[in-house]
Amino acid sequence: MRAFEYVRAADVDAAVATVTDDPFASYLAGGTTQVDLMKDGVLAPERLVDITRLPLHGIEHGPDTIHVGALTTMEELAADPTVVARLPIVREALLLGASTQLRNMATIGGNLLQRTRCRYFRDPSVPACNKRSPGSGCAAVTGAARMHAILGVSDRCIALHASDVAVALVALNAVVRIQGDQGRRSVPLTEFYLESAEDPVAENMLAHGELITGIEIPLLPEGARSGYLKVRDRVSYEFALVSAGVALVIEDGVIQDARIGLGGVGSKPWRARSAEEVLIGAPPAVETYRAAAAAALAGAWTVPGTAFKVELAQRTLVRTLQNVTEVSS
Amino acid sequence: MTATQSRPLVGAALNRVDGPLKVSGQAHYPSDFDVPGQAHAALVQSTIAAGRITRIDTSAAEDAPGVLTVITHLNAPRLDRGPMTGLGASPPPPLQDDRILHHGQHIAIVVAETAEQATDAARLVTAEYQADEAVLDLDDPRAQILDNPWGLDTQRGDVAVAMASAEVVVEGTFTTPDNTNNPLGLFCTLAHWDGDRLTLHDSTQWPSMVRATMAQVFKVPEDSVRVHVPFIGGGFGNGLRAWPHVILTVLAARTLARPVKLVLTRPQMFTSVGHRPEGVQHIKVGATATGELVALEHRSLSAVAMEDDDYEPLAAGSAVAYACPNVLTRDRQARLNIPNPTSMRGPAEAQGNFALESIIDELAYAVGVDPLEIRLRNYAEINPEAELPWSSKALRECFEVGAERFGWSQRSPEPRSRRDGDWLIGYGVAGVSYPWYQAPCQARATISADGNGYVRSAAADLGTGTYTVMTQVSAESLGLPLDRVRFDLGDSDMPIAPQAGGSGLTSALGNAVQDACRQLLDSFLTLVHEDEMSPLRGCTRADVAVEDGRIHRLDAPLEGETYADILARHNLTELTADGASDPGKAADLGMALAGAFGAKFVEVRVDADLGLVRVTRIVSVIDGGRILNEKTAGSQIVGGTVGGIGQALFEDTVTDAGTGRIANATFGDYLIPVNGDVPDLDVVFVGAPDRGTPLGTKGVGEVGLVGVAAAIANAIYHATGRRIRSLPITLDTLL
Ligand SMILES: Cc1cc2nc3c(=O)[nH]c(=O)nc-3n(C[C@H](O)[C@H](O)[C@H](O)COP(=O)(O)OP(=O)(O)OC[C@H]3O[C@@H](n4cnc5c(N)ncnc54)[C@H](O)[C@@H]3O)c2cc1C
Ligand code: SF4
Repeated sequence: MRAFEYVRAADVDAAVATVTDDPFASYLAGGTTQVDLMKDGVLAPERLVDITRLPLHGIEHGPDTIHVGALTTMEELAADPTVVARLPIVREALLLGASTQLRNMATIGGNLLQRTRCRYFRDPSVPACNKRSPGSGCAAVTGAARMHAILGVSDRCIALHASDVAVALVALNAVVRIQGDQGRRSVPLTEFYLESAEDPVAENMLAHGELITGIEIPLLPEGARSGYLKVRDRVSYEFALVSAGVALVIEDGVIQDARIGLGGVGSKPWRARSAEEVLIGAPPAVETYRAAAAAALAGAWTVPGTAFKVELAQRTLVRTLQNVTEVSS
Repeated sequence: MTATQSRPLVGAALNRVDGPLKVSGQAHYPSDFDVPGQAHAALVQSTIAAGRITRIDTSAAEDAPGVLTVITHLNAPRLDRGPMTGLGASPPPPLQDDRILHHGQHIAIVVAETAEQATDAARLVTAEYQADEAVLDLDDPRAQILDNPWGLDTQRGDVAVAMASAEVVVEGTFTTPDNTNNPLGLFCTLAHWDGDRLTLHDSTQWPSMVRATMAQVFKVPEDSVRVHVPFIGGGFGNGLRAWPHVILTVLAARTLARPVKLVLTRPQMFTSVGHRPEGVQHIKVGATATGELVALEHRSLSAVAMEDDDYEPLAAGSAVAYACPNVLTRDRQARLNIPNPTSMRGPAEAQGNFALESIIDELAYAVGVDPLEIRLRNYAEINPEAELPWSSKALRECFEVGAERFGWSQRSPEPRSRRDGDWLIGYGVAGVSYPWYQAPCQARATISADGNGYVRSAAADLGTGTYTVMTQVSAESLGLPLDRVRFDLGDSDMPIAPQAGGSGLTSALGNAVQDACRQLLDSFLTLVHEDEMSPLRGCTRADVAVEDGRIHRLDAPLEGETYADILARHNLTELTADGASDPGKAADLGMALAGAFGAKFVEVRVDADLGLVRVTRIVSVIDGGRILNEKTAGSQIVGGTVGGIGQALFEDTVTDAGTGRIANATFGDYLIPVNGDVPDLDVVFVGAPDRGTPLGTKGVGEVGLVGVAAAIANAIYHATGRRIRSLPITLDTLL
């Protein structure tokens, strides 16, 4: 790892100013993504601005939303009583992610900005990676691509955005609060991420130096059913091969509202609106779920290593819908 | 008569004698050692799999902060290859020419003042290549094939005729992938020259072999090389060879005349210290309509590096596993542009048993006989190749005790016949006949003036419990309580010992230790033989026993004296004796030397819709001969079983087509079981002391892993009706 300067930000404005003014500076939160990539020689910032002492910790509870400070850890958010009671989809997505040790280090802001696990990206000895060296090609397309994406991708890059909780958050219409040197703005998470199909480098619409200060999560209405199912090779401590986060409101035997997020499949945390359209207005039934799942995966682009995900993702979504609605096959 | 004491120490489920050191951080692993003035090394590895280096530029690295030297093939001295070992030729020495034989080959070593400087500078070395098309696949027609490389091919009876007359024939092709040993401790070498004397701390399973290798490669006498490895963070076979990175570190230290330390990175652990090579096996069995085997044919092909040896006879074990009159086994290797493979826990057996025990299961379903019953029906009462009785074999008992503990009788015969919600439930069984292995070994025992014992040998303890069980054997053999005996190892200056491998060390070392202790007792009796003052005068070993350090006459227990008394009266500060063990030969003993046997019973739950497999129960019943310590032996079976779950469901070292780069060389990408994947494991030992050695032990280091993969695959078949012949069995194969 290259030598770098470490600075501890005094306050939010100073942090933003320091990073904005220095093209070779990065924020350091829990470090579980950032430091790994530096050790592997993928990132080599000259300056790390430690933001962990900034007052961006903790959760504020409103009547219809919670506001989560960007530095809240994954474990803290999962343990929040409101999350436990009203947002099981978020809690499950968090607790099925990483390991306890990591969840105690990792922050929510950092989680949303975690980088892809693509081994070709993470190994600088591999020449072809459009994300790391634009224009160099994509080694994954012809390589070992089991942990790669099938939605929002192209032969330029099939990198997966591997966050679990972001899948739940896009389904819930969460909003990211951002502060830059020009001021503050709020962006729906569904608009925050960019697909890699066009540009493998830009993963989201943050400008260099912009800081995520928090996330606003609308609560689900009382009586809504939600859940998150993560399918992977081993029981724990692994990224999703495929996951699904769903939230449904069912009244009078009809699905009134449906939110579907898919993980393990997208170049960004995937909101499956086409599936939602199939579900809304229909009765909760396996046939409906299958149709919704087929709609969700309609645009899949696969390579041999990822081909199985098209079927697995559909089955996973169907099962998740069945689980939250207790509809058996 | 042996020297014994009232409470037997051997066999007791004692805690590890080195436990307190380990939990208090005082057990020193190779990377824990530092010597004054040491420099740090980092490796540069090739990024092609085959071809030549046309240009290597080290100038930026040499100019980087703290860099002391960069050694490449351009400035490295010519080095001899190390000696032949019990496992084949030594790996070729590094940096001898511009040729690249595999991706990740070491092409330079960079030495700097700090490890960070060395790592950073290593990234600055650039190489240009003339790349050839690499040979990476077993079925590549360009691959050179080695036929019967170990001379172990067997042929008994006439397989073709018997197969043609068989009432039922089943066959299948089984594939097993590259697996990587991945001990938790990153391998480390710390080399320190003092003139022509070399001191080495090295992560090795075989200090005596590393010493011999360094002496030969660097042309110094063997006794001027000293290898230390008091503790090692696991090995699983990685430490069985003197690898190129060890030679490079020693070379760097010699070049700089400074101590040099190298710690491999996790990705380098995938390319620098061996792996279980991929294999493809075709196996065919013919049987009567009631499942009696009449013919068995097992052919294998496994991968080996371009210029290296690896012992991997996948099919050989099938020749002795069952009583079958007509058997043919053939093993071949294909030379590929891959990193050197090596033994990985249960080498050859782990793969071969998967094929054999799967096909026996297929036969059971084909003839409609219970899979357990078919194994008993074809039980090899004697070793069918040697046609000699086994030195011990309690495999039948393994099956019977296991069936009872597992509740095998509850099994529903039909596949896919038990369900619990989304989960299909299946039972599977596999048997294991682990081959015998043992090499000559020496040990030395001393009693000092205070009457305490000190016993040692140049063996290694991989964390398996060698310190502990050898302390038990020493204490019992010397008639001393445990806390008055110290057993030491991990230093090549001690009497020569074979590798901790092949499940062979415990018997080799245990018998040598027992012999050294007996010789020592003889020495005491010789000392007092004519001693008028001694109540033991005239006694031989048969006439005495030792308890709590006091030798007494068996015919008159009150007549005796302590070791300390004897030494004091003879003005000696200590008395020392050497012992040795040599494996017996089947022909002399009139019996076939047996390794451990085992039966594995597995219950799985399979969510067929999502392809999820959960192993919910495993019962392992093991005949390991005499068990020296129920606890450490049991831990070997537990650890091996976890490895077996990994082999069955997760472990798969993936190589990039074309480049030969390993695509998943991290613990995030190369999956091994986590706690949640491992159910409660039931381990029981059965059987009697083996008749082949004085101590009666058999090795239990590998039998725990072997058979688990087949039992899981068999259980998955029972649960789902799907026969998977390729490992690992991942969820996408079950969709
Ligand atoms: C072994 C392992 C397993 C994992 N498994 C999972 C899993 O199963 N599921 C899952 O979802 N995740 C998983 N993760 C990812 C983990 O959740 C993320 O690494 C973590 O959430 C990142 O948070 P952090 O605070 O450590 O971020 P850091 O590593 O500190 O930062 C990540 C990036 O975000 C930037 N950054 C951080 N905070 C801010 C901010 N407030 N504003 C602007 N930029 C910021 C940093 O500059 C950096 O570029 C795993 C990680 C590891 C190492
Ligand atoms: S998938 Fe994307 S990140 Fe991975 S190698 Fe291709 S371009 Fe790079």
